[in-house]
Amino acid sequence: MIAMRLNPLVAVFAVAAVLSACGGEPPAQDTLNVDTAQDSAAKAERMAKTKKIFYNIPSPMETAALLKKAGAQYNSKILNDVKNVDKYTAASQQALNLGVYGADLSYASVFNHTQESMFYTSCSRKLADRLGVINAFNDSTLELMQSSMNDRDALLDIISETYWNVDAYLKENGRDNISALMIAGGWVEGLYIATQVSASNDSPELRQRIAEQKLSLNDLIALIESYSVDDARLTGVKEDLKGLKVLFAEVASATGGSEVSEENGTTVIGGGGAPATLTDAQLVAIRDKAAAIRNTYIN
Amino acid sequence: MPNVRTILAKTLLAGAFLAVATMAQAQCRSFAKNKCVPELAPYKFNETFNAAQLAPGEEAEVNLTFYSGQEYRVMVCTHPILGEVNWKLVDENNKIIFESLADEPKHHFDLKAASTVPVKVVVWVPNKSGTTMVHVGCVAIMVGFKE
Repeated sequence: MIAMRLNPLVAVFAVAAVLSACGGEPPAQDTLNVDTAQDSAAKAERMAKTKKIFYNIPSPMETAALLKKAGAQYNSKILNDVKNVDKYTAASQQALNLGVYGADLSYASVFNHTQESMFYTSCSRKLADRLGVINAFNDSTLELMQSSMNDRDALLDIISETYWNVDAYLKENGRDNISALMIAGGWVEGLYIATQVSASNDSPELRQRIAEQKLSLNDLIALIESYSVDDARLTGVKEDLKGLKVLFAEVASATGGSEVSEENGTTVIGGGGAPATLTDAQLVAIRDKAAAIRNTYIN
Repeated sequence: MPNVRTILAKTLLAGAFLAVATMAQAQCRSFAKNKCVPELAPYKFNETFNAAQLAPGEEAEVNLTFYSGQEYRVMVCTHPILGEVNWKLVDENNKIIFESLADEPKHHFDLKAASTVPVKVVVWVPNKSGTTMVHVGCVAIMVGFKE
């Protein structure tokens, strides 16, 4: 609560310092794809067909929380360099890296590295601004984060709400393809972080969480397939994910089933079976593939 | 030039459709944010916006995964204009795990996953007898988890 008593002038300087930590002025960027009149009819038809089926891909925050519970360690060296933010000039690159930085932000925040959280928030805000996502990061978001730096739960709530605002804004404005790229970028970064952490901090729990991404990968591909008809970048991302799907095909899934029981008044689903697992060779193959895909997104 | 006229008419119609859909979605988000998210507490909202404008007879579904060792709240939140809806949670073989019907509604279901399971939440709006008015309203399917 001490931070909340900061002089407003100090807060402004602090926000400015954080903003400047994430690169300088952006170079000229590509024009964003705006729907032409001809696209509208196809988009309206697609919305009518798909609006009632949703794919719930684990959010960056949920993935980071799962990694922490699995005993993963924090390693800032594996995250995307904040200086890269100005390299992303195409809208598709900005969307993918908004997801990447969002995942890095969640990872840093869940592991309580608040200063780095501020840097990644700043990068995310820059990319959101360039994508024309207005109001998701309103003027007070960074100041609010600054004042909540000592309150991890409050900080996580602000980040969650901001991520939700960005995603919802994109969907409400008919830019579902940009939203899908952001979700894909975040998912790939989450897998990259998990597999990189496992290289130095391997454990059965961490391998289980990586193996379980087989399920969300299928949902992510299904989500992207609902948009990829008229978007070359999404088609490329779908091919990347299908490359990962081939590697995940051999991974042993959990066998717990979905039996329902009661335990101390709580409904329990599943249990009793073997958890999903990865062999050494499968882990290395998925790690290498995730790194290769991620490098094409961030460079 | 009938083709040009047809294209123009279709474009205008599609444009109007998109404008109305965008406005409806914005209202739906506002409803979900103000009315539904607070009801997830003490669970943490998973940040995924699954909401649609539904009319009687329509259906929505969400595919998701529960991870072992995690506790979840699944909540179906509907705008009062629509009244109560039916919803169920089913596994990948469509076996019912939980069901709530409109005449005895439950708005959320709390659970703990002992193993990792893919599930589906299915919501359908019952047709109302004795009325010719069709009400369209926001239905949000929200998931919260405990960190």
